[in-house]
Amino acid sequence: MKFEIAIDGRPIEIDKTQLENAIEVEPGVFSVLIDGRSFEIRLPAGGPETNAIADGRRFSVEVRDPRDATGSSRSAPAGGRQKVAAPMPGKVIRILVKQGDAVEAGQGLAVVEAMKMQNEMKAPRPARVIEVRVRDGDTVAAGETLVVLE
Amino acid sequence: MFRKVLIANRGEIAVRLVRALRDMGIASVAVFSDADRGALHVRLADEAEHIGPAPSAESYLNIPRLLEAARKHGAQAIHPGYGFLSENAEFASACDAAGLVFIGPSAETIRRLGSKTAARILAKQVHVPVVPGSEKPATDLEHARTLARELGYPVLLKAAAGGGGKGMRQVNKESELEASIRDASSEAERAFHNAEVYIEKVIERPRHIEIQIAGDRFGHLLHLGERECSVQRRHQKIIEECPSPLVFLNPEMRQEMGEAALRIARAAGYYNLGTVEFLADQYGNFYFLEVNTRLQVEHPVTELVTGLDLVQLQIRIAAGEALPFSQEDVRWSGWAMECRICAEDPENQFFPSPGKILQLREPAGPGIRLDSGVSPGWNIPLEYDPLLAKLVAWAPGRDIAIRRLDRALAEYAIAGPVTNLAFFREILRDPEFERGALHTGFIADLMTRRKAPEAPSLQLDLAVALATAAAAARNRDGETPLEKPQASNWLIEGRGHLLR
Repeated sequence: MKFEIAIDGRPIEIDKTQLENAIEVEPGVFSVLIDGRSFEIRLPAGGPETNAIADGRRFSVEVRDPRDATGSSRSAPAGGRQKVAAPMPGKVIRILVKQGDAVEAGQGLAVVEAMKMQNEMKAPRPARVIEVRVRDGDTVAAGETLVVLE
Repeated sequence: MFRKVLIANRGEIAVRLVRALRDMGIASVAVFSDADRGALHVRLADEAEHIGPAPSAESYLNIPRLLEAARKHGAQAIHPGYGFLSENAEFASACDAAGLVFIGPSAETIRRLGSKTAARILAKQVHVPVVPGSEKPATDLEHARTLARELGYPVLLKAAAGGGGKGMRQVNKESELEASIRDASSEAERAFHNAEVYIEKVIERPRHIEIQIAGDRFGHLLHLGERECSVQRRHQKIIEECPSPLVFLNPEMRQEMGEAALRIARAAGYYNLGTVEFLADQYGNFYFLEVNTRLQVEHPVTELVTGLDLVQLQIRIAAGEALPFSQEDVRWSGWAMECRICAEDPENQFFPSPGKILQLREPAGPGIRLDSGVSPGWNIPLEYDPLLAKLVAWAPGRDIAIRRLDRALAEYAIAGPVTNLAFFREILRDPEFERGALHTGFIADLMTRRKAPEAPSLQLDLAVALATAAAAARNRDGETPLEKPQASNWLIEGRGHLLR
C-alpha cells in the first residue's frame, strides 16, 4: 500500500510501513520523527484549503491516487482578461475607474475597507477596464470580482 | 479602591484589564457586541453585558449603552483601554456626569491634547521642538495645496483626532493631494468621528521613540523611560522595544526626552498615564509628534524593564492614590521586545485575514509574556482590528531578547487565519534589525531587499508527506486515534481519490 502525496506540487511516495514514524498527538497535529529529527506538522481540519503548517511555513498538500493520472483540472483564465478581486470580505468605499478607462500598472481601481483598513486595489499591469462589477458602498465577499481588465 | 470596574473595550487589551483587576481583587465587567459573545475577554471577566451589533459605532463607541451597562452592573469606574473611546473627551465628561470614574486623564486634558494641532502649539510654548507642519486642519483644498508647497513634498496627512496610523497618508506629489485628503478624511471620520486632517513635513528615515509618563492627582509627574516603535507597516507599529537602540547608544536622550515630555504634561495638567510620541533623526535630534492620552498597546515592554504594572498604576491613580514612588526610584533593567501578532498576510500587502482559529499553541518559558485575546475555535471578526496577541520577551540584553522572541515565535502555532508569525522571525534575523538600525521605513526597505525563502529541506517535505499520509490512512480506516476527526475538505478530497 502506497500513498502518493503532493507537497506544493512536489510528488512524494509514502509506503504504509513508514507511517509508524508519524503519530497524531492531538486532533490534526502530527509528531513525525525522521532519522531522529523531530517535526511537528499541523493539518487543521475544517479549513477552506488543503494546507499543512510546519516549521512556520504553509504547504499545500494533496493526496493523489496513483491510478488517477490526470493532473490538476483547474483551467487557466482566458488569455488577456484579468479579474481584480477583493482579497477579503469588506466594503467598497470608492470606485476609482469606469468602464472603458485605460489604466496604468499600479493605478488605483477601487478602495475597499475591511478591519478598519482602507486598501486600494491596484491594476497589476497596463490595461483597459472592460467591466466594473461593484458600486460604492457595496459589501463584497472574499474573492468577489470588483473590476475586470483586458 | 473600586469594587467593580467596567471595561469599555475588547480583544487582548480587555483581557489584560480583566487580569489587572483580578490581581487587585476588583470585579470586572466586560462588554461585548454581537460578534464578540464568545470572545475571551467575555469568558474571563466576572460579569458581561451585551452592548449592540457588531459595527463598533453601534457598540464599543456607543456611549449611552456603555454608561447604562456600568449602571446596571454597579461599576464605579470605566477603563477605556486603547482605541475606541479611550481618547474621547465627551466620553470622559459623560462618565463624570454619570458619577463614574473615567480611568485616564481629565476630559479637559484629553481635549487640550486630543487635537494634534493644539498639542503642537502647546509643545512649542514649552520649547519642545516640533515637526514643521500646519497648525490648523487642512479641510480646504486650496489652503492644503499652498501649505504642502511651502513645506515641500513629500508631506504627511494625519487625522487631527487620530492615532494608530488611521487617516494617515504620505503624499509624494501635488497630483495625489486631493484624492489623499479625501481618503484620509473619510478614514478619520469613520475611525474617530472627526474628518479633520492636517499636513506635516516628512522627516527622512525617522525613528519613532516615545516616552511613557505617569502622574497622580497631587501634581506629581514622572517618566518611565522610552520605547522605540520604529518597525511599522501601514504606519502602525508591529515591533516595540525598551530601551531604544538609539537611546542605548546616547543615554542622555532618555533624560532630555523625558524632561520634554514632562514639560508638555505639566502644561496640560496631566494626570494618570500617557505617552508622548517623538520622531528622532539618526543623530538624536527629536521632534514632538503627539500625546496619546491613554494606555498604549506596547505598554508591556515598559512593564518588563521597570517591573511596574502600568494598568494597576492607572487604576490606583484614578482611585485617588498618590504615585507610590519618585523619579529617582525608577530603574530600567535589561531589554524587552514585543511583536504584535496579527491576522494579516505579509505576502499580500499585510491584508487582514479574518477567519476561524482552528488550532492554537501559545509559547511559554523563561522571559516570555503573551497578552492574547483569542482562543481555539475563535472566529476573528472582520469588524475590528486584526491584532490577536502581543508576544513580549525580556532578557538581560538585546541580542538575547531577540533570540528568546525567535524561540517563542517558533513555539507559537496558529492554524486557520494567515498571520505574521513567520514574518517576525524573518525580521528578527535581518542584519539591519540585529544591529538596531531602525527607521519607520524599515519594513518597506526590508520588503525590497528580502530574498525568496529557501526551499524546505527534503526531511521537512518528507515529514509533511508522512503526516498527510497518516491523516489519510486514519481517515480511510476510520481510525480515531484521539477523537472523531472533524469534516475537512482536504480529507474528504483525499478519501475521494483513494476510493475511486
